[in-house]
Amino acid sequence: MLPHRFQYHRPDNLEQVFELLDRYGDDVAPYAGGTELLLALKARVLRYEHLVDLKRVPGLKGVCESDGQIVIGALSSHFSLATDPIVKRLVPAYAALSDNIANIRVRVSGTIGGNLCFAEPHADPPAMLAALGASLTLRGRDGQRRVAMADFIEGEFTTVRGPAEVLTEVRIPAPAASARYAYCSFGHLERPAVGIAAGYCPERGTPHYRIWAGAIAGRPAQLRSVEDALEGVPPDKLGDVLAEAASAAAQELPAHDDLQGSADYKRHLAAVLTRRAVEQAAGLQPRRKAA
Amino acid sequence: MSEASHRAQPPRRDFFEKVTGSAEFISDVVVPGMLQGRILRSTIPHGRIRNVDVSAALALPGVEAVLTGEDIAGLNNHWGLFLNDRPVIAIDRVRYVGEPVAVVVAVDERTAEDALDLIDVDYETLPFVTDAVEAMAEDAPVLHEKSETLKDFYFKGEAKPVPGTNIFQKYEYAHGDVERAFADAGRVFEDTFSFPMIFHYAMEPHCVVASFADGGLTLWSCGQAPTAIQKVLSRVFDLPLAKIRIITPYVGGGFGGKASVKIDPLVAAAAWKVGRPVRICLSISESMLTCRRLSASITVRTGVRADGTILGKAVRVVMNGGAYADTGPAVAIKAANRAIGPYHVPNLKLEAYAVYTNTVPGAAFRSIGGPQAVWASESQMDIIAGALGIDPVELRYRNMLKPGETVRPDLRPIDVDMAEALGQASQAMSRLDAAGPDAGLMKGVAVGASDPGIMAVAAVLVRLKIDGSVLVISNSVEIGQGIREVLRTFAAELLNQPAEAVYVMTPDTALAPFDWGTGASRSSVMMGMAIEDAAIDIRRQLADMAAAAFGVAAETVSLCPGGIVAGDRQWPFAELLHAHYGIDSGEVIGIGRISPHSRDGRLMQAPLFWETAAGMCGVELDEETGEVRVRRYVSVADVGRVLNRASAEGQDEGAAIQGLGHALSEELVYEDGQPVNASMIDYHVPTIDEVPEDFLTVLIESGTGPGPGGARGMGEGAILPVAPAIANALASRHGIRIRDLPLTPERVWRALQEKKAKP
Ligand SMILES: Cc1cc2nc3c(=O)[nH]c(=O)nc-3n(C[C@H](O)[C@H](O)[C@H](O)COP(=O)(O)OP(=O)(O)OC[C@H]3O[C@@H](n4cnc5c(N)ncnc54)[C@H](O)[C@@H]3O)c2cc1C
Repeated sequence: MLPHRFQYHRPDNLEQVFELLDRYGDDVAPYAGGTELLLALKARVLRYEHLVDLKRVPGLKGVCESDGQIVIGALSSHFSLATDPIVKRLVPAYAALSDNIANIRVRVSGTIGGNLCFAEPHADPPAMLAALGASLTLRGRDGQRRVAMADFIEGEFTTVRGPAEVLTEVRIPAPAASARYAYCSFGHLERPAVGIAAGYCPERGTPHYRIWAGAIAGRPAQLRSVEDALEGVPPDKLGDVLAEAASAAAQELPAHDDLQGSADYKRHLAAVLTRRAVEQAAGLQPRRKAA
Repeated sequence: MSEASHRAQPPRRDFFEKVTGSAEFISDVVVPGMLQGRILRSTIPHGRIRNVDVSAALALPGVEAVLTGEDIAGLNNHWGLFLNDRPVIAIDRVRYVGEPVAVVVAVDERTAEDALDLIDVDYETLPFVTDAVEAMAEDAPVLHEKSETLKDFYFKGEAKPVPGTNIFQKYEYAHGDVERAFADAGRVFEDTFSFPMIFHYAMEPHCVVASFADGGLTLWSCGQAPTAIQKVLSRVFDLPLAKIRIITPYVGGGFGGKASVKIDPLVAAAAWKVGRPVRICLSISESMLTCRRLSASITVRTGVRADGTILGKAVRVVMNGGAYADTGPAVAIKAANRAIGPYHVPNLKLEAYAVYTNTVPGAAFRSIGGPQAVWASESQMDIIAGALGIDPVELRYRNMLKPGETVRPDLRPIDVDMAEALGQASQAMSRLDAAGPDAGLMKGVAVGASDPGIMAVAAVLVRLKIDGSVLVISNSVEIGQGIREVLRTFAAELLNQPAEAVYVMTPDTALAPFDWGTGASRSSVMMGMAIEDAAIDIRRQLADMAAAAFGVAAETVSLCPGGIVAGDRQWPFAELLHAHYGIDSGEVIGIGRISPHSRDGRLMQAPLFWETAAGMCGVELDEETGEVRVRRYVSVADVGRVLNRASAEGQDEGAAIQGLGHALSEELVYEDGQPVNASMIDYHVPTIDEVPEDFLTVLIESGTGPGPGGARGMGEGAILPVAPAIANALASRHGIRIRDLPLTPERVWRALQEKKAKP
């Protein structure tokens, strides 16, 4: 299928981007890798008269370290993040996650910013970025604001981003040297049915855990009850506490039946993946019963 | 890849063209003056069309015409292969979501697509049914009030619809007395299995260009059976066959989804309406709404003695044939036959139904009816083995037919050694296990035997040019399987010329003789035999020429590279033809014709050969998620003779991996009459990540096939055993018996849960 005709704009600075977004209002969308946008236009579920290509705008791509933060340009592709030396060194779990998204063609074109702004629920980055305590920088004509990843996605395909705002960067606080993260996802179709991000963050000898569930519901959800249950529990004592807390928390997750699976199955997956992700983060051999 | 050393063989000629992008596929065809068509499809499963308002679409600049059901009143507007049940375009009624209701013809595709939004269709909805068993119920909505069968139209025989119902094919067969056998048997097993609708997913969607000119019609088609298309179009447009020309460039895959006739009449009607050439190239999502494999519910009853000997078997197959019969009647018969297996079944009863429903029309698909049937029968073999405490492989050996014994007395005796194939599978798996320690993989096995529905009707022209180059002209379609290379190999071998001298032409019905079609594993064997005859014809003509020109005895003349030999004398073709024609130009045309009477009538009995497969898998299961991974797979087939190793192994691997998709993830899902996953985003075909790390194809070269040098057909066998082999592996280790495909993680997980709940 072919998209409706649209006008293609290729500005080379953000000022021009803002100007175009302003001028065309509801009839315009930013265009990054296009892996979501173009599919939706071709399927004619979305329609825009104008597309503003962000790829020529300087400064939106790449990774740097600044003030204890990893600053990722919104136009960085999943592939570039999977192979980026800074990401691999400081948040290897995020590099691994990026390496596991979709297929190579999508990873090479698809961007982290496009993934977050589209807010398709069956996505990997949001839960992980939330667990890492990331924040997003949104810029518009009148300046910029920071939004916590945890607050950015409101529900399926909806975010707090204003129509004339551009996501410019994702900032991840560099994890402490002792912290470790892991991400476990599962699905039998193209995208994840459930994804769980877990962080093991010992502070002055006391273990803390951060656990977020993604893909299963419209927006990532923090599994506070599991975090609380595990608070202070050292890795070698996780045992049944973890399994029980994970199962209990999974039962509370909003889920519905769809092609990815029935709600009860997905909740079960959430429990399994929570256990696996926490164990991996805590440095335990995954207790995976492969026959 | 096989372990056998690869014979030095030049790469297929089409590979070079395809890799460099110079190959012309059907979607690349451009005809001067060509317009583009897009199809408006029904959004409801069943209804009457009250009105189609195309005025706004016609007003859009760039739109040249809109074809609707009203336009085709003057044509013979229904067509079919077994039943004349299908309108060229919906006339006053739609029967499935996706059925073509209007075609916009415009200067370009985008304009045509934009115009689709401007067409207003007023439907009156009718009750619908998407499930085959429900469609057989008394009070089910009936899709077709009358049925007109077409006897011997393109397939031999005719469908047996049940008037006043949705049943468009009812097939029955019996030998012996199955009820008596069940009474005598120690145990009778009865199991019902289901098999979903599956999409063919050829990488190139359906594409056709149609052009009326000079009182005739030319089509560039993606069809696998150009002469079937020719015949149907001749009826629809009331044109002589001689004025209809079908040209078939490279086709980007078919798997049966382009067999017989698909969108050709529709595209031709659009061209007819607008009076200019029209191209319609579907999207993959539209191809998913064009045809699919018939889903099935299969009940197998098998009576066995305590030692596992099968005494009797009764099979009941109900197939969901979708909105139009297409080749469904043949599929139903084959499903019944293919459920028998390569076993002694002294008492047998087969019953098969194909049923109309408000879903995408069912169609032929790699081994028609085979995967459905073998899923049921080979799963049940392991159920029986488990219940009787017999090793599953041993149970199969005990019942296995020996070469020369019959599956059914009216069919050709089985002409392969299935026990050898099964043995080779076990050995090959042992070799894999020895090479990479087995990590506790679960093993499962299955075999399949199918009777390809091959019509022995084929012909070829082979033109030997004065310079020694050879042109092979046939209607065999290159659809990725490598037929052009096979024809090249045969022509080179049978004319004793270097392969580099042989060229194979793009099929064109105006030039190439009638051939039944490319499918049912037939082309290598049928065209091979035709080339055999054409080569004899050429040799005879050359010998007569040499006798006259050089005074040699005709029977001593044979071909050598670039010329002929007689005794110790040798002449290049140029010298011989120059002497014969008096000028240094010319050619010799060989004709090879195959009919059921060829080869002393030996081709008359069905099947022409048996196509079989043995498959063995090594499987891993994540018990917590239910995810099944096939780590090792061995596929064994007797192909008679390997003509091109890369192609033959590719066919075998491709079939098995397609079978892996059938087994693990593929299923077209219907909800409320709507197909809910008819796109490649939601419908999952295996990717390279899911292909077993260790995959071994073992090709047995028994030389027992009817083709040149003992060649048999291949490419449809390896798909058969995959799903039951995997399910059998799960059952052997975990005691879960899953009777429905696909084996999605959730389905496997649920089976494990149920097992745990009642140990
Ligand atoms: C086959 C397939 C498989 C996939 N599998 C996975 C998977 O396994 N896991 C996963 O997480 N994802 C998956 N995806 C989704 C993929 O991650 C996203 O498609 C990709 O990251 C989106 O980025 P993009 O640059 O292509 O976005 P685009 O398509 O260019 O844009 C998407 C949306 O975001 C807006 N937008 C883009 N960039 C910005 C910006 N900087 N500021 C403001 N708005 C912006 C656009 O206007 C548009 O609405 C899959 C996609 C496909 C097609």
